[in-house]
Amino acid sequence: MTFRARLFWIFTLALVLSVGLVAAGVTVVTRRAFDDLHSQHTDALLTQFNRDIDRRKQDVVNRVEGVAEDEGTVYMATRLATSQADVSSYVNDANGVAKSHQLDLLDFVSNDGAIISSKEWPARFGYKLDWVLQPEDWVSRGAFWMKADTQDGPVLALVAVRVQRVGDKNLYIVGGERLGREFLKSLVLPPGMRALLYLNLDPNFQVANLLDLSDTAIEPERFASIIQEEQAQPGEQTARIQWLQDSASAEVFHALPLQGRQSELLGVLLVGNSQREIVMLERRILWLAMAVVVIGLFISALLSWWGAARVTRPVRRLAEGAREVSEGNWGAHVDVRGGGEIRQLGQAFNRMTQQLIDQRERLVQAERVAAWREVARRLAHELKNPLFPLQTTVENMQRAKEQNHDQFEEVFRESTGILLAEIENLKNITGQFSDFAKMPQPELATVNLNEVVRGVVKLFEAQFGAVGRPPITPELHLEENLPTIQADQMQLHRAVENLILNAMDAMPSGGVLMLRTTHNDDGVHLEISDTGTGLTPEECDRLFTPYYTTKQHGTGLGLAIVQSVVSDHGGRISVESESGVGTSFHIELPTKPRPKPPNPQASAPEGERS
Amino acid sequence: MLRRLAGISLACGILLAALPARTARRPHYGGTLRVAMGASLNSLDPAVAAENAEEAAAKEEIDALIYERGKSAGAWELTGPFRISEWQPGKFLSLAANNDFREGRPFVDSIEIQMGRAARDRLVDLELKKIDFAEIPAEQARRAAERGIRVSASQPDELLALVFVGGGSGAAGEDARVREAVARSVDRASIVNFILQKEGEAAGSLLPQWSSGTAFLFSTAADTAHAKEIWTQIAPSPKIVLGYDSGDALEQNVAERIVVNAREAGIPLAAQAIQAASNAPANAEMDARLVRWTMPSPHPADSLVNLQASLVASGVADPGSFPGRASSKEVFEREQFLLNGYRVVPLVWLPHVFALSSRVRDWQAPEPGRNWGLADVWLEGDEQ
Repeated sequence: MTFRARLFWIFTLALVLSVGLVAAGVTVVTRRAFDDLHSQHTDALLTQFNRDIDRRKQDVVNRVEGVAEDEGTVYMATRLATSQADVSSYVNDANGVAKSHQLDLLDFVSNDGAIISSKEWPARFGYKLDWVLQPEDWVSRGAFWMKADTQDGPVLALVAVRVQRVGDKNLYIVGGERLGREFLKSLVLPPGMRALLYLNLDPNFQVANLLDLSDTAIEPERFASIIQEEQAQPGEQTARIQWLQDSASAEVFHALPLQGRQSELLGVLLVGNSQREIVMLERRILWLAMAVVVIGLFISALLSWWGAARVTRPVRRLAEGAREVSEGNWGAHVDVRGGGEIRQLGQAFNRMTQQLIDQRERLVQAERVAAWREVARRLAHELKNPLFPLQTTVENMQRAKEQNHDQFEEVFRESTGILLAEIENLKNITGQFSDFAKMPQPELATVNLNEVVRGVVKLFEAQFGAVGRPPITPELHLEENLPTIQADQMQLHRAVENLILNAMDAMPSGGVLMLRTTHNDDGVHLEISDTGTGLTPEECDRLFTPYYTTKQHGTGLGLAIVQSVVSDHGGRISVESESGVGTSFHIELPTKPRPKPPNPQASAPEGERS
Repeated sequence: MLRRLAGISLACGILLAALPARTARRPHYGGTLRVAMGASLNSLDPAVAAENAEEAAAKEEIDALIYERGKSAGAWELTGPFRISEWQPGKFLSLAANNDFREGRPFVDSIEIQMGRAARDRLVDLELKKIDFAEIPAEQARRAAERGIRVSASQPDELLALVFVGGGSGAAGEDARVREAVARSVDRASIVNFILQKEGEAAGSLLPQWSSGTAFLFSTAADTAHAKEIWTQIAPSPKIVLGYDSGDALEQNVAERIVVNAREAGIPLAAQAIQAASNAPANAEMDARLVRWTMPSPHPADSLVNLQASLVASGVADPGSFPGRASSKEVFEREQFLLNGYRVVPLVWLPHVFALSSRVRDWQAPEPGRNWGLADVWLEGDEQ
């Protein structure tokens, strides 16, 4: 993964995390705020409900008091207080009085607790309503919840009791308001809320006892748990019911227990608050947050890409410059804009490449001078050797001409022979220099290195066992499956020949000459080792320098030619030597020659040339 | 002697002094009797059947005013005490006195009958002196009297009874123990005292005391404890449906009271209103129903024959021979026979109650089998 890609992903990840965290935080905070608001709204509404119920209780009390103070009721109480009281004449009174006072329930109860007249159940006259006889301050009691028996069965009612006392006889007036659908209709509910009333008329939860105006209770039996909890322990509770899979269908129900005089549970008012609006609102916020995240992602990706490109551009230029330097273009220059460490790095790089160029120039010049000096020294040395016999021979001829005229002819003949030989020697010397100077470019063809090695060894077989010199034993370790390479066979032949000659010179007392070929993925490898006297490290360092030789009569061009051939084929040559043990040359040749880098000798390390 | 003459003179003087007032109280012709009734008749043809019991009763009374049975084949003839002078079907009927009536011209010149007036409206009309005569429900007699309205009641001759028709889904009426439990749970006294406002009698027999003289031998007291005990022995407990005429307020009140009584005994009884049109003896939806039966005659044996025929026709009594002129003992035994098994549970005897204005004179509440004697009444203050 590139530096730019890494930076891109780091920037992107950081931005995504940041945007995501912000979006999540906003969502959570918003949801909590909505929940709090919703809770406050519900609490306020429940308080309003309780106030409504208190007001309704007071209203019932007022209406029952109105009945008790009605002239007809007072007259009834007065008549019933007499000894000839006939309760039967009042049996139908409750109905009319209840209607005039807008009461759903009204019972006139005699001093002994018997019902005189009943609005809600007219046929129940004569039966006892014993609970009204219990000693209780009905005035301070106010209205209370009660399960009242009616003709249609028990109902939940808000009831108040008042007593009209005449003499020592009481007339009890029990009046109330039935709680049912009308009660639910009278509740003022904001949109999204609804009220249900459960009449706790049976020990177990009964769907029929659940009154709901909206008829949206798809599964009324789902209220069973909250009702059963109320039945077990009456108190304000909250429960959430999700009607459908969609969470927007959920409703939060607040249960308000309606308890009677003995704290018995008579009913449960369920105030449902639809979660649809808040869920939809939260969803809108969530969608908005997601849209922000997506847009943020897109923008962050663009910014990351642009930022990564901006940050990595000078680094990439530096990398390109370094690669150019590694490829030999020491003049590579990096154009770094902006400021900071990257600019300093670019400037340092440029200074470094400039210094490298300068140092290389100086080194080249120094080497060039040294080479010329070496050439001059060698030329002087090589030319000086034949010149001295030439000078001596010419002087002998002059002296013979002057002093010994009779022997002049003989001297002349011998001297011209010597002169011709030395001149030939000079021609050879100059020929070698000329050959080195005229090293041709290799003509590539498919070459089997093993065949080259075998051909050269065959040429030298006679010399290895020549009479008069210690024998040299050649050992060939040639890999059978050595791949062919693209090379100039003649130049390779000459290089191997020079190395074998060099090895033979290094083994004046005979020895073993080992030639080994191997290969790897990069190419083929040739090792030529001798068991000669070996070289010193200093000699190894300068071994491939042209015109450098450790031999008495060497030109110093043999190994230079070898290195030139290997270099022209894109290969490398190195030497390992140990004094008194022997020397090994290693040649690595690519299957296909690589382009030759400029000034290979200048960049090659000491002891290793390519 | 003087004292005797003086006495005779004084008597004559008093008689002469009282003569004008006496003349004012004397029956005389003239005037219009204003009548209101609850039924709305759409036809005065005696061959056209009435739609319900109330209309049938009203039609019978009007027919008696304008028709007489002919001598041949019993055909209806327009020779009654009154003749039709104006007829607005369902609303109003005006009758004029028939001068040629064979029993003599009625005292009043005409009768105006307002139809379709509810009982409460009829009482109001009487209070406002808009009408002179109306029949009112027995349970309103007391309240009418308290409001200063003249009230005239006949002998209790209409029986309100609970009859097990045996048509309920659970066939609860087929179990004699069920019937007995229900019968024993009914508090007849409360029905009479509260619902009828003491206008009527608790009935334990099929004939009233004034007719048979043996009604007191039949118990009318409620025995809730016994009813409860019987009911606990019945398993599984059936639910009983009691039907009543939806247009009859008295039946509704009585049915609802029976429901309360039954519940007190633990009996699950439900009252159900039925349309008059479905006033059939055996209704598939109910186990029992309330029925009214009016005595056709003051004679106990004749009435019992009629009642037995009705019960046989309804399928709640087995036909049996019963002499038309049976002795009191035979009537009593027949009553016992019909009441055994509790298929018929007598509840109350109801009188026919009439509300009259103060100017109506010589009104006599009709005996069983007799019609309103409007031809015999005269109106005070309408002397010619």
